[in-house]
Amino acid sequence: MASVSLRENLGIREEVIKKACSVSMKTHKSAGKQLYVAEKIRNSHELVFSFPGSWSLSDWFIGSSFGEVNVDLELFPSLKYIGLNQIATVNGAFLNRFNAILDNTQFKKEVGTAVTDRKQVQVVFTGHSLGGPIAILAAIWFLEEYIRPDPKKMAPLCVTFGSPLVGDRIMSHALRRENWSRYFVNFVMRYDIVPRMSLTPLSSVEQQLRQVLNFFKARSQENVVEPSDFFVTVMRNALSVVSHAACKIMGNTNLLLETLSNFVELSPYRPLGTYVFCTGNEKLVVIRNPDAVLQLLFYTSQLSSEGDLPAVARRSLIDHLSYKDELEECLKMQSVTFLDDHHLEALPLSDDASATAESNMALKDLGLSARARLCLRAAGQLEKQKKSNQQAIDKKMEDIKNGLGKLQGYKDKCKHKVGYYDAFKISEDKEDFEANVNRLQLAGIWDEIIEMLKRNELPDEFEGRKAWIDIGTQYRRIVEPLDIANYYRHLKNEDTGPYMERGRPKRYKCTQRWREHAERMSNESLESCFWAEAEELCNKSGNPSIRDRVLQLKRRVEEWIRNGVLDEDVFLNGSTFEKLLTEHSLKNSDQNVVFQGSWS
Amino acid sequence: MDTEASPFESSEMLATFLTSTPLLSMSWSLCDRANTMPSQGFVAEQMGSVGHLAFSGVQLGSGPDPTSGRNLEPLVTATNGLFFPLEHQFDGEEGGGEEEGKEPVLVHAGFLRIFLSVKSNPNFQNRMLNMIQNSKSIVIAGHGIGGTVAGLCALWLLSYLQSISSNISVLCITFGSPLLGNESLSRAILREGWSGNFCHVVSKHDVFPRLFFAPLAPLNPQLHSLLQFWQLSMTSPPLALLAEKLLDEGKSQIFRTVLASLEGLAKAEQGKNVTCGFWPFGNYFFCSEDGAICNDNATFIVKMMHSLLLNSSPSCSIEDHLKYGYYVEKASLQVLTKTSFPPAELPESSYEAGVALALQSSGIACQDESVARPAKNCLKLARRMGRTPNLNCANLAIKLSKITPYRAEIEWYKATCDQSDAQMGYYDSFKQRGASKRDFKVNMNRYKLARFWDNVINMLDNNDLPRDFHRRAKWVNGSQFYMLLVEPLDIAEYYRTGMHRKKGHYISNGRERRYKIFERWWKERPIKEEEKKTRSTFASSPKTHVFGPEWRKLESG
Repeated sequence: MASVSLRENLGIREEVIKKACSVSMKTHKSAGKQLYVAEKIRNSHELVFSFPGSWSLSDWFIGSSFGEVNVDLELFPSLKYIGLNQIATVNGAFLNRFNAILDNTQFKKEVGTAVTDRKQVQVVFTGHSLGGPIAILAAIWFLEEYIRPDPKKMAPLCVTFGSPLVGDRIMSHALRRENWSRYFVNFVMRYDIVPRMSLTPLSSVEQQLRQVLNFFKARSQENVVEPSDFFVTVMRNALSVVSHAACKIMGNTNLLLETLSNFVELSPYRPLGTYVFCTGNEKLVVIRNPDAVLQLLFYTSQLSSEGDLPAVARRSLIDHLSYKDELEECLKMQSVTFLDDHHLEALPLSDDASATAESNMALKDLGLSARARLCLRAAGQLEKQKKSNQQAIDKKMEDIKNGLGKLQGYKDKCKHKVGYYDAFKISEDKEDFEANVNRLQLAGIWDEIIEMLKRNELPDEFEGRKAWIDIGTQYRRIVEPLDIANYYRHLKNEDTGPYMERGRPKRYKCTQRWREHAERMSNESLESCFWAEAEELCNKSGNPSIRDRVLQLKRRVEEWIRNGVLDEDVFLNGSTFEKLLTEHSLKNSDQNVVFQGSWS
Repeated sequence: MDTEASPFESSEMLATFLTSTPLLSMSWSLCDRANTMPSQGFVAEQMGSVGHLAFSGVQLGSGPDPTSGRNLEPLVTATNGLFFPLEHQFDGEEGGGEEEGKEPVLVHAGFLRIFLSVKSNPNFQNRMLNMIQNSKSIVIAGHGIGGTVAGLCALWLLSYLQSISSNISVLCITFGSPLLGNESLSRAILREGWSGNFCHVVSKHDVFPRLFFAPLAPLNPQLHSLLQFWQLSMTSPPLALLAEKLLDEGKSQIFRTVLASLEGLAKAEQGKNVTCGFWPFGNYFFCSEDGAICNDNATFIVKMMHSLLLNSSPSCSIEDHLKYGYYVEKASLQVLTKTSFPPAELPESSYEAGVALALQSSGIACQDESVARPAKNCLKLARRMGRTPNLNCANLAIKLSKITPYRAEIEWYKATCDQSDAQMGYYDSFKQRGASKRDFKVNMNRYKLARFWDNVINMLDNNDLPRDFHRRAKWVNGSQFYMLLVEPLDIAEYYRTGMHRKKGHYISNGRERRYKIFERWWKERPIKEEEKKTRSTFASSPKTHVFGPEWRKLESG
């Protein structure tokens, strides 16, 4: 394999890594005095923001066992699983610290100046230990604030060293979807305990954690705590998370797995971005597959034998403090393996396999057993499977287009009558039945896509793909009125409730959210379901107090028509909407004349 | 996406997951305590929102006599509805005609007696009530005979929690427990979706979990001294030494008998009914010096019990029953370390490698071909082709939405027939249909829909769907809609082809099983308050199909 340098693969110059590391170690000294340190790299255009750590327990965990809270979508609008409307969770203690920095106007100002600087300043966020999560949150904030509105701006970089995990699976998913994941680079020493600590509930380590933090604070290797118990507890909890995840990605369907999950608290936190593992013998291993990174967090620290425990446990603490020296050596050696390039799903299982020597060396340097390698294979296999699922779904786009074409034809034909909404609602002609068959076929395809999203069977990038967002919107605009017509035709509102509250299928909610997110809309884009509102208002007819609502709806409809997202046929004579307007004497006298003129 | 088997063998990973949690060591330490306090019969402890309960493996007084001639008795008659979900048969056929010839659910009479006596103890009832009120989840454990009591207790608790619609989770962990009941019990547990609530820890050589595979009557006295030896070892080790002497001769007799019976079972061809009365249920967690694996396939479990015993010895098989504390502790450290493996022997395929590693963990050395090969083969047999019931159900929903267009086409056919000038209706139109393309298509759709719904029933029969499937509105309504629309066409076809002359009246002789089942679902469906509201008018589809049943009667006249 042609060797690629770290710089080419990660998009970061070695000097920047070195500088980030030394600044972030130095920043600890200003803890308590300064919220952050900004430093320019000499003779270049990078500006490094570094955040100090903290050794007080309340800065690591607050609240319940893992201390996770929902992210604030105002601040981080992208951190969600869009279609299913699941919000990412993040460690509350870290979020609090970050919010304190964001409240500091100086920080915002300094970042703002860097962004507007004509010389295209590259902003780098960095932090060691607890500084890492803050750097990550700052970088995400930067991306939301500056890059999402204007993707041409210079993207930031985020480099962390021995950082604990910040957010859950959805956070990592969202960063990959937005294609931001590549800006995050996390360095982890092979035995460093801190990144693994996030997989343990506070309740099981609280006392020991205090001592460990004190050890880090004093930085003296004389100040010994008894680390073996702590190490064993952390590793055991990490193994629970990792083996549970491995069962899932290996496709285990035993019901016992479900039962057990009710009895143990599993950490929600997951790695995000690129991970660079320092093997401890001056080599680096780079990996991006998030499932594989999670497995490595356990397996790289696995003991070779029980006798190793005291030494490894001690090493797990010291490693957290030795990034600077180790990285200096590593960057000099430039011995880097990019595991993702080596077909994870077919990694060699044992040390002696010589076929792909480079990846095998890296696995050996990380100390991975055959079982660990099988887990990496499973992670690779899953990613491959997701890609092939996506290909299968992509092939169906043609079918969707065909179906939509037919329904568009139906819609056009109905313009000569009462409009396709009401024609479909009455359903008396052959075309109406054919339209229904088309509707159902399309629903079948979309329901399958939604089901795959629910089960995480598609690549993270899927929901960010323009082609799918567009066809989803088109689908929703053409077909949802038919679903609404069908709903009210069968009077399902009478026993189930209004369409919008009780009857709206996920396939429309989901595609609607895709568009709202992609176009950063602040309002809901409900143009496809105005008929439901019209029907509900019709059902309340005779009640004069709803005139205002009818008027409002009419204004919105007019705006949608102006914006070209809704067709004018809604005003056709005899349509449900036209009748509603007539009843409340809200019809514009000119409207029908104009449209009939253009169609007849 | 499809029902392809996973390219990975994960029984070992599941065992690792369980071992990484505190559940095993917690349960064992309680069992250990319960064993030393036999007069209590059980110990209970509340840890946060998890309730722990352990039954003693030492049962004083009216101890069970595992050797008494006829030791299985029907669960139903003996327990007065305590275990009602296990008695209930809903396998689709009204009247349960298919169940004929199958055994009722049977459990070991002695163990049942112990459980019932514990259950009637007011102290136990109080603790239990307390636990149910304060817990989100409950672990029930037991060693040896205590495990069988734990199993019955868990079955009872699951039944009870189901009756009060509680969502407390229950996990039963047993250590070296003998078998509890017959194959019907095992099937009923599967049907209820409870197999994931049971995990039986069995050490490599322990003879107790294997004991009931053998005919025991001839070994009566030896078994007595064996039980005595185990119980004394748990309570007063010095006395156990004496008991061991008495046992000496019996050891190898018991060992040989059990091994021979297991041999017979393991060699029996698949599907052939070699029965020993007792049958395993739930998951088995096989642990050895080298690790553990966890699987719930009964055939695999039986073969594994056999394979592992092959390399044992009479005294090993008896001492191993007392070593669970050692195994549990060993396993919990072991998962944190790498186990070395002779690399040359690891196959390249992920699946084959996973199987080899799993066998190594269960304590079967790959070098020992004669033992390893059959074990490997049966682990591969246990490979799951299917998915969990919930996943199956979700897949079925996708399939339903894909076949719905066929149904819509029939609806349309019906509508056009109703409106046509001939005024014949779709029943008669279909009965007298010619060779037109449209008639052909409707008939094809009828077949496709029938295939879909028959498959649904088939999956239900095989426990591949969630157990409340037939109560879910989506499926009750969907099947009813289908029946009302399509059954008249089936009837038309029946009389068109003159089947009534060959087979007789449609309702009694020609009606497909699926319609009988769907009719029952509809009758038994849960009716929500809001549904009792009357509609202003009937929606088009149900209204026009109410005549479905009428067709059947008309034709017979």
